[in-house]
Amino acid sequence: MANPLDIPVVVDALSKTFKVPVREAGLGQSVMSLFKREFRDVEAVKEIRFTLDAGEIVGFLGPNGAGKTTTIKMLTGLLFPTAGTARVLGHEPWRREKELLRRIALVMGQRNNLAWDLPAVDSFELNKAIYGIPEDVFQKRKGEYIEILDVADIATKPIRNLSLGERMKMEIVAALLHGPEVLFLDEPTIGLDVTMQRRLRQFILDYNAQNGATVLLTSHYMADVSAMVSRVVVIDHGSILYDGPLAGLSDRFSAHKTIRVEATDLPEDLGQLGRVLERNPARASIEVRREDVSTVAGHLLAVATVTDLAIEETPLEDVIDRVFTSESGGSDDTQN
Amino acid sequence: MSRPAGPIHLARLHFKLGTLNELQYRVNFWVQLLNSALNLATGLIAIAVVYNQTDSLGGWTSGQLLAVLGVHVLIGGFLKTFVVPNMWSLIRDVQEGTLDYTLTRPVDSQLIVSIRQINIWSLIDVALGVGVVAWAVTDIQADPSAGDLIAFFVALLCGAAIVYAIWLTAVTIAFKAVDIGDLMQILNGVYEAGRWPVTIYPLWLRGSLTVVIPLAFAITVPAEIISERIEGWWLIAALGVASAALAVSRLIWKWGIRNYSGASA
Amino acid sequence: MRYYRAGMRIGFQREIQYRVRAFLMLFGFMIEPTIYLVVWTSVADAQGGEIAGLTTGTLAAYYIVWTLVRVYNLAYAPDAWEWRIREGRLNEFLSQPIHPFHRDFTFFAGAKFVWTLAWIPVAVFLTLIFDPVFDWAVINVVGFVIALWGGFIVRFLMLYALGMINFWTTRGSAIFGIFIASELVLSGRLVPLELMPQWISDIAAWLPFKWTFQFPIDTFIGRLSPQEIVSGIGFQAFWSIVLGLVFVLVWNRAIRRYGAVGN
Repeated sequence: MANPLDIPVVVDALSKTFKVPVREAGLGQSVMSLFKREFRDVEAVKEIRFTLDAGEIVGFLGPNGAGKTTTIKMLTGLLFPTAGTARVLGHEPWRREKELLRRIALVMGQRNNLAWDLPAVDSFELNKAIYGIPEDVFQKRKGEYIEILDVADIATKPIRNLSLGERMKMEIVAALLHGPEVLFLDEPTIGLDVTMQRRLRQFILDYNAQNGATVLLTSHYMADVSAMVSRVVVIDHGSILYDGPLAGLSDRFSAHKTIRVEATDLPEDLGQLGRVLERNPARASIEVRREDVSTVAGHLLAVATVTDLAIEETPLEDVIDRVFTSESGGSDDTQN
Repeated sequence: MSRPAGPIHLARLHFKLGTLNELQYRVNFWVQLLNSALNLATGLIAIAVVYNQTDSLGGWTSGQLLAVLGVHVLIGGFLKTFVVPNMWSLIRDVQEGTLDYTLTRPVDSQLIVSIRQINIWSLIDVALGVGVVAWAVTDIQADPSAGDLIAFFVALLCGAAIVYAIWLTAVTIAFKAVDIGDLMQILNGVYEAGRWPVTIYPLWLRGSLTVVIPLAFAITVPAEIISERIEGWWLIAALGVASAALAVSRLIWKWGIRNYSGASA
Repeated sequence: MRYYRAGMRIGFQREIQYRVRAFLMLFGFMIEPTIYLVVWTSVADAQGGEIAGLTTGTLAAYYIVWTLVRVYNLAYAPDAWEWRIREGRLNEFLSQPIHPFHRDFTFFAGAKFVWTLAWIPVAVFLTLIFDPVFDWAVINVVGFVIALWGGFIVRFLMLYALGMINFWTTRGSAIFGIFIASELVLSGRLVPLELMPQWISDIAAWLPFKWTFQFPIDTFIGRLSPQEIVSGIGFQAFWSIVLGLVFVLVWNRAIRRYGAVGN
């Protein structure tokens, strides 16, 4: 067990409740609200616990409104928790101590940090001054990052003239110039095309490999998650549903596997074996319970001339989807 | 790691970058010149219409009124150059949730939001204001000594500090009320009250503009100093008010940040 | 049109949420006329209680009604078009079956009811402080209501048409600056036109400005004869038609240009 002081991020029984004004409907109520406002409590985060070890890249998954952004805001010092504790690099984030802020970075997808009217290089200069980056380190990193992301020609254009993808590249460069040890990424690849997403992912992975930085990443994109993270924390309605390896996610939440079989003489009544996902003359995909996998596979091999047979996990998207649409988030064993 | 930059260095850096960037857009110079000229013209027309009908407005001669107009334009120029652009940025940050970034930087947040933007062309107003004050001084045939000029300059600095504090306080308090772009319009309206010397206002208005929103100290007092209507010790009062205003705005800022929870999530 | 009722109700509902904003706005609107009133009253007092035929009581009445007329003058600002174009919001509007004019107009119209409510305490406060003198008759009140909305329509169309400039230049704010400065002086906003030098009030007679400000005010405080009220409303109608036509003409070309040049 690592020394607690060495664990970059520790979250314990963290909670956050908001007071939200009740929206009035109709004209009459609107006028009444001039005199009396009503509020209701919204529990955004309920006593969550987890830790991040040094150098880990952890994916923080959840549907909109699950509490991901609220948690990240608490970890970056933007919100006070209602209860519980959190420590980032040994500090309580909401104290916003300068020593902590110099060692972390926050990047939010589609939200700009860099000055709108200035070219990126000017913003880099500002970062250098703000974070106190030594000149030689600054130049070296700046040159390196600009080259890796291939943004030399746009670095001198005002941010407002750049496309979303180009802007995000600049944002990430700016965020990493001061060599943060903990990186909070809130949907960094949202709205970007596939190529750009891959580039940014690779960049972050490289940074993590070279610097041993700890990364907490929220995303809706499975590709982000499967490409980058070793561990996943799933949150829904303010509570953590799962905290463990990515591979385990299917085991935990999906009671099914998918059998993909290729054969020209498949039997007609495949529906008896399981849920038929896809069916052509030469190919079929069937979703079966985990327990039934070997039975069904064996059966298919026996009755048809199988040229290919694969046993796959339910796609992650489907798993996540089911997790968030089911009530308790327990394993899904409803058979169609 | 070397030490992060101090506030003065950061301010100079922002100033340099903002100015260099803005200088590219030379058209803006002419646009601003036009607007400033129009603004000044309407002020002069108003004064002209008044003095068409009378010789003395509540004890103020036309030359003295000109001094007030000059200071008003000058301080207005300061506001438009250094304060207002930052307030717009701040409001935008709150609305778009990007204030989060400012709050996760290892620099005092009030410092960042106050120095990062600059509208260099509004310095035209400052120049025009100085010109009008100079004109006023010759018009009333005052003969300011070096001491008077220094006092005037210090009074102007106090005025700048006061209006900055007013603007920042107003914007911070309106954090919660979303869509607060008209707050700037209202502040401008309030600022217009400074175009005339507060001594001609009824007591309740004069009091509000001295105690609650101390525009009197920002504008009327410097004008009175340079037109030799009052003694130099008023300067002490101005310094006191400026310090108090800055302290209050600091407290309000910290309060505002504590209450901030982002416009989203 | 049924849309107008729905649109105005939405305008009302949206605006009433921002109650703080409504109060702040009205408070802000109190300042400008109070300043003018104080200044002109001072001048009048120095001249023995009256200037150019306006007593202090009339001046007080003028500027109190001014605050309400100011509220009804609020319209969609030309600057906002620049924002709309730049942020690509215009596309949303163009793909709707209703012309953006109706949407904008009804929003402001609906909001006016909220602002009028917020105005009442302001008017009471100002009436208690200053001592306005009104000269009332039913014709004044009726004429006033019409003139008030007439002024709104004229100014809305003026600003809307002016906003089209932003399709051709990003320097629209400069033109708007000229407009506002002219309006301040020529509409009766700064001071009743009677106090202006003759040549200024002559120019003002040819422009639409005074029908948005001075005319509605004068209608209420009783300085106009019934014939003048009616002919004034006629002028408002005239300018509404003219400006409406200008807008329609310019709009079509603006949209064509927008389609050609893009965002």
